Amino acid sequence: MLNRFARFLVFFILLAQSVACAEEVDAQKLLEEIDANLWADTKHIQGRLIIDNGRRVRELKQETWMEGVTKSYSRYLSPARERGTKMLKVKNKLWLYTPQTDRKILISGHLLRQSMMGSDLSYEDMMEDVKVSRAYLATFEGYVEYEGQQTAILTLKARKPNSTYQTRKIWADPVRYVVLKEIRFAKSGKPLKQVKYLDYVPIDDRLFPRQMVFRDLLKTDTKTTYAFDLIEFGVDIPSRYFSQSILKR
Amino acid sequence: MILKVALRNFAGQGMRAFLNVSVTALIIIATIFSLSLLNGFQAQALKNLSTTDVGGGHYRVPGFDIMSPTDWEDLTQEVPRQLSQFKHNEKAEVLVQQGQLFINNRMFPVQLRGVEMGQQLLDLPMDHLLRRQQPVADSVPIIIGTQMSRKSKLKVGDQVVMKWRDKHGAVDALDAEVVDVVPLVNPRVDEGVAWLRLDHLRQITLRSKEITWVVVEGNRGKVEGLEFIDTDYLMRDLLALLANDRRNTRLIIGILLMLAAISVFNTQYLNIFKRQKEIGTLMAMGMTPNQIIRLFTVEGGLAAVGAVLMAVVLGIPFFAWFQISGFDVSHLSGTGIPVRENIFLEFNVREIATAVSIIVGLMILVAWWPVRRISNLEPTQALRGRGIT
Repeated sequence: MLNRFARFLVFFILLAQSVACAEEVDAQKLLEEIDANLWADTKHIQGRLIIDNGRRVRELKQETWMEGVTKSYSRYLSPARERGTKMLKVKNKLWLYTPQTDRKILISGHLLRQSMMGSDLSYEDMMEDVKVSRAYLATFEGYVEYEGQQTAILTLKARKPNSTYQTRKIWADPVRYVVLKEIRFAKSGKPLKQVKYLDYVPIDDRLFPRQMVFRDLLKTDTKTTYAFDLIEFGVDIPSRYFSQSILKR
Repeated sequence: MILKVALRNFAGQGMRAFLNVSVTALIIIATIFSLSLLNGFQAQALKNLSTTDVGGGHYRVPGFDIMSPTDWEDLTQEVPRQLSQFKHNEKAEVLVQQGQLFINNRMFPVQLRGVEMGQQLLDLPMDHLLRRQQPVADSVPIIIGTQMSRKSKLKVGDQVVMKWRDKHGAVDALDAEVVDVVPLVNPRVDEGVAWLRLDHLRQITLRSKEITWVVVEGNRGKVEGLEFIDTDYLMRDLLALLANDRRNTRLIIGILLMLAAISVFNTQYLNIFKRQKEIGTLMAMGMTPNQIIRLFTVEGGLAAVGAVLMAVVLGIPFFAWFQISGFDVSHLSGTGIPVRENIFLEFNVREIATAVSIIVGLMILVAWWPVRRISNLEPTQALRGRGIT
């Protein structure tokens, strides 16, 4: 009798779990939680941009300071050819400084759509300065198993017609509030870019990926990996870092 | 009397006179050939530009510059009613946008050029697009030129991904199907250009009724919101190139002409040196120095007249033969010069008459110049052969 009861109990627990999993996720809330996990008031990152164009691989070391979603300053540390190159983003403007020319160039308008340093990312992709939860409306599509874990698939539709990608699809971990994979689509529905978020590690009270792998899906054999070696949240950033006066030797 | 004597003397010069006449005749033929070839080249290039792109001028959105592709998307507007009322043979609406084709892992930046299908003003082989009347669904039909086909290795039936931005800046992409590869005589509308139906390009970019420019037959006065760009401005780079070519041609002709003039000058100089006794005799018989100068100048002038006659005899059959085959300029197909077909001579009667007159005049001048010294000649010294040393 006790044995039958125990079996019933196990069955009930399993059933309850599967019902809980199948329960619809509040997609918009999940997106907000994901944003809250990723975004911080200030960030300091040391990382490497590994650009593989199918023929050769280049590795660019960089250091970045970010304030909110609208200000960021990066400087390239290696290789020698790129050392001293600086990028400053303030709102929707991006300045590029190269020590070879000792000039700063404003990259705006359509120039932002060009590939950044020959990578799979455009300057525009790098400059994305709105929280995804504010720019998109999320819809829960269901659960799938992705790399051994249950993930919620969310389809994001742009709230405004001027968003570069009108549709995105994300594979999100509904428990840890992190994105594992993202595909950005053309208006027609053709997949254009894929981003994989790898090796989440706890930093302070957040989970942050150690690597982001970007792929331009219209090209083959190319990928750009953004590897983060050091991530600090809530750091004090001198105000001159977000001033154009920083763009010099 | 002088003409009669001059003719006899000229004939007596034999091979020397024949060579002078031949060289001058060849220079006349070369001059007419090079000027007419340049005329033919210019006419063909301008015609090709005009029939494929320029027409009689463009009404453009102010500030548009074909050399600044990053601005193309911002410089469009709805076609004004004043222009949309024109007949199909009076205007051609064109919309130009930036796009990218992804071919074999390579990204090809392209100019997406949408042209009104009903237009009859430009001579563009767009028959295959004309048949694709349905709105864009799964793929966008495009036409490319042979040069673009060669560079991109795209052929009829190929499907590649095409990416562009809509009016709001959202990125979009679809498969593009190459429905035809056409020979375009103007490389400016071939290399790096993907041709679409105007309605298709408007549909996929959400630019209903918008244009970048309207090709017209000629200036139709002020049009609200657009500025008229005339053909001189639209063809300015080609016109400058041709003007430069014309300068170079004239320089080469000048050098050839100088060589011929030196030859005649040399002949005349030797003539008066070797024929001093003859000059002295003529003076002793009562001819004035001016009459003798006239005699020698007419002799020299006869070489120029002979050259013109010889140029007619040799030139007419040569030009007639040349006009059958033309001049192959296929080696220029890789350049931006809008000529692909063989070019033919275009004779400008006024230009030829001017050139021949200058050559004849110069020959007479160089025939006269050395014999001026006769005016100071002492008949007694000349008879001894010591007048000119």
